[in-house]
Amino acid sequence: MTNKPENPKRRAFLKNFAIIGTLLVAIGMFFRNLWEYIYPPKEKKKYHKYLVAKIDSVPVGKAKEIKLGKTPVFVVHLPDGYRVFSGICTHLGCIVRWEEEKQRFFCPCHKGIYDKTGKVIGGPPPRPLDQYKVEVDKNLVYIYVESKTRGPWA
Amino acid sequence: MNFKDWFKERFPIDYDKFVEINERIFIKEPIPVHMKKWWYCMGATPLILFALQGLTGIFLAFYFVPSPEMAFESVRHITQDVRFGFWIRGLHRWGANLMILSLLLHITRVFFTRAYQRPREFNWIIGVVLFGLSLTFSFTGYSLTYNQLSYWAATVGTNLIKSVPLIGHELLYLLRGGEEVTANTLTRFYMLHVWFLPLFLVFFLILHIIVLRLHGVSEPEGFPKGKYFPFYPHHFYKIIIATLFLLALMSSLTIILPPGLGTPADPTVTPFHIKPEWYFYPTYRFLQLVPLKVGIYVTGAFLIAFTFWPFIEPLLSKKNEVRRKISWGVGALTLIITLGLTIWESLV
Amino acid sequence: MDTVKGQQWLIGIFSTLLIVILIIVAGMEMEKSHATKPEIEIDKMTARCITCHEEKGIAVKQIDAWKESKHAVMGIGCYECHEAKKGDFDAFTCTGSDILIGRHPTPKDCAKCHEQQVKEFANSKHAHQFWLLKNGDRAVFEFPMATRHGCEECHQVGNIWPDGSVGECDVCHAKHSFSKAVARQPETCGECHVGPDHPQIEEYIESKHGNIFKAKGKHWDLNYSTKDHQKIPLEVPVCTTCHMDGNETQPMTHNVSARLATESQAPWSFRTVWDEEHLGNWKKKRERMEEICASCHAPDFYKMYFLTADLVNLQYNEIRRQFVYWTKKLTKNGTIHRLQRDGKFFSSPVLNGWDELPEHNMYYGWHHEGRRFRMGAEMMAADYTQWHGIWEVQEDLTELIKWAAEHGDAEAKKIAKSNDPTKFITFALYDVPGTAWGIAAKTNTTPFVYNNLPDYWDRVYKNVEAAFQHGLLSEDQWQLWLKRYKNKDYYLGLKFANTPQVDSTWNFYKKRNDIDLQKMKEQVIDLVLPGKSFFEGR
Repeated sequence: MTNKPENPKRRAFLKNFAIIGTLLVAIGMFFRNLWEYIYPPKEKKKYHKYLVAKIDSVPVGKAKEIKLGKTPVFVVHLPDGYRVFSGICTHLGCIVRWEEEKQRFFCPCHKGIYDKTGKVIGGPPPRPLDQYKVEVDKNLVYIYVESKTRGPWA
Repeated sequence: MNFKDWFKERFPIDYDKFVEINERIFIKEPIPVHMKKWWYCMGATPLILFALQGLTGIFLAFYFVPSPEMAFESVRHITQDVRFGFWIRGLHRWGANLMILSLLLHITRVFFTRAYQRPREFNWIIGVVLFGLSLTFSFTGYSLTYNQLSYWAATVGTNLIKSVPLIGHELLYLLRGGEEVTANTLTRFYMLHVWFLPLFLVFFLILHIIVLRLHGVSEPEGFPKGKYFPFYPHHFYKIIIATLFLLALMSSLTIILPPGLGTPADPTVTPFHIKPEWYFYPTYRFLQLVPLKVGIYVTGAFLIAFTFWPFIEPLLSKKNEVRRKISWGVGALTLIITLGLTIWESLV
Repeated sequence: MDTVKGQQWLIGIFSTLLIVILIIVAGMEMEKSHATKPEIEIDKMTARCITCHEEKGIAVKQIDAWKESKHAVMGIGCYECHEAKKGDFDAFTCTGSDILIGRHPTPKDCAKCHEQQVKEFANSKHAHQFWLLKNGDRAVFEFPMATRHGCEECHQVGNIWPDGSVGECDVCHAKHSFSKAVARQPETCGECHVGPDHPQIEEYIESKHGNIFKAKGKHWDLNYSTKDHQKIPLEVPVCTTCHMDGNETQPMTHNVSARLATESQAPWSFRTVWDEEHLGNWKKKRERMEEICASCHAPDFYKMYFLTADLVNLQYNEIRRQFVYWTKKLTKNGTIHRLQRDGKFFSSPVLNGWDELPEHNMYYGWHHEGRRFRMGAEMMAADYTQWHGIWEVQEDLTELIKWAAEHGDAEAKKIAKSNDPTKFITFALYDVPGTAWGIAAKTNTTPFVYNNLPDYWDRVYKNVEAAFQHGLLSEDQWQLWLKRYKNKDYYLGLKFANTPQVDSTWNFYKKRNDIDLQKMKEQVIDLVLPGKSFFEGR
């Protein structure tokens, strides 16, 4: 058997490497657990259907404003279907108004203007109005709303 | 100008001296050979546990809310909803128990090896203060969960303060933040637990370690004198092993014996069986055996004797042999009585 | 372990140990004890209703009930159901507001979202107003004040509303939480399906299903959905499990008539022909029911059970035939009289009449004990079949015949005065060898008909065959009956009745019985008390 003088040194090195490695993994896992603990849970959001209107209640070209709790929401009946927009202006959070004669949304704070599809056509808003996913079931119009649970925690 | 010089210009300290001091403390410090035995590491163990308690405590404080309405609910939230919450809480709870346990072992070890002897008397007294602070930590800590047991234990415990002569009632008022245990009590206990006690403990801890290092670790009888080994790597490794072991132990205990929630505190209903935590059993049992005044005075006398024993012992005899026998006798008696009372209380 | 190398190994070992434990910790999640309630968003209109109602303190707990409902989560608030148009029969303006509200949301309103359920319900016998079509007793024997909180309350389930819709959905899904779990609770059905004339809830509680439900069902969550051909999640069925809910073979239906094969409530048990166009014939309906039974039971078991229950129904018919025969006869020869006024009849000789014994007994023989006899047999409630059922039916008939005899009917007199045991079976008989659940070695050695009428089984055979040929039993059932008939000695246990092992067991208990009787005689029968009665001469 060839006697390699490097072997004991390498063995010692590997042993140290393994031990330090295991130690570092243990420490890493410990701190990873701590991180998971304080990082708020990113649970997959669940949605449920929420009734916003009956089909015949909003004529084409008109919008109906309802309140989703405290959030104002607009149900617009366009020729190609229903769209439901959040009434919160995407600029700095004021509540927009629906101007029927002009078929558009108008924000009084900084004069942001959106067309009837929520697209920005004037003023400072950086992006279109937030939309809810719409589903029409028989003669009822639903949107998908985030399922939240009651309680003091987020 | 290179970086080192740029740095030295702005932080003009003597770097060589700085490195030398650190080396001396953490690497080269000569430790007597007896410290290779685990029985003598009962001092490091509470230190490690205290650090872990601090760490887990800080993390618990991310979710704990110290109001009567939310205290129990926030503890429940941590235990049941928050990811790893049950583990952090378990570490904290078991850490507290293990800390008291290891402190008791440390005190026993120090006492029976008579390491409190001249010139180390004051370190003993500092140690007693540290022990008292740790007990206060535990008491304030488990009152924060605000379940039935903790609420009523806090009520009974703070009631005892009233028995301190002269200033008892004022102390009670101050501690409770009023006549009764209320929201004020909870917030005061919280402030004690996360602010004042840690501050005091750290201060006395640093003092304890400095004084210890200044004198050098005392060498007990039965070991070859004058033989030392450097702090690093041996003792350093010991501390790492101890930390790993304690973490594994506390995590396992959390899984096998998880800390429960109990029922939320109800100020109108006292449960049938309220007991303090196990480390208060001796006092609890003793105070039920004798009239209150007797109990207070005897406990007080014992505490004074306990605190100042390093100064009392030499007064009892001039001969070392005799002193050793007396100390061991007194120590054994204290151990037996304390253990006996603890076991008795746990059976009742 | 004092060496540095030793220490390093220790570090490695404990690190590994810690890693393992941390992995276990990561895998564990503490039990979540909170059943999380979803947050509800209240729309503007509902907020108006709630504010006013809370201020005025009117029906405020209904708001809490609504908040618990799935309607609340999905944004169906007060106005979605209570919306009214001008001219609606129940429209009114809510006091202190300008809102037009309908006081009585009807199935027409529910159908806005629940069209399928309303349609299914409207096609069922829950929606059938049979009680108004033939309502002699409620119209004559009981006056409106009597029926207002009585009959009318239960039969509200089939109410015809002024807007043409029929039914009352919240009879089962109590408003305003409309909870599925409450609808599934047997006691909900038992609000109406109770009492001497259709004691289904009592029968359920007596049955094995009901017993196990009482023992274990407290912790079951009855809120599940069976829309998607899911397995039945319960250990034993509740009412809806068999009569409405789905399983892997069929979807849930609100039509309770879809799985019932026999009209056991009718004066005569007949095979149902209800909505055959959509529901199929009675065999199809029975098949649906059997597919639910099959979730837990073997076909051998439930097919035999149903065959026996069906024969009970047919047997009832033969007894009914007697009741009808006598009352018709007695009416014809004027012994009993119909109620009438101004030439119009207000009682029927075969349905009701309340003042003369034959009428009374005929009515009870059908409407009360006759129903209990049949329904008990179908719902596995033996006591209702026997002591509250056929026993009382027989008593009714015997009493009727006795009364007829006393009032001059010669035929009745002959029966009443007879000393032959067959006087109690003045009607054709059905039978089937054995039961669904086992072989009884001695049970069938005692009946009079088995031991004294040599052509008994011949006649029974002919009757069952006739029923089959008349379409009252299916081909499967006839084949099953034939199998039993051909092996009747086995199924009746008679084959084993006199074997040594059976006899030895039988004699063991017979001996015990003899001891009982003997001791009874010694203890109390033969006891002659010294202090005599105070009546002269006794």
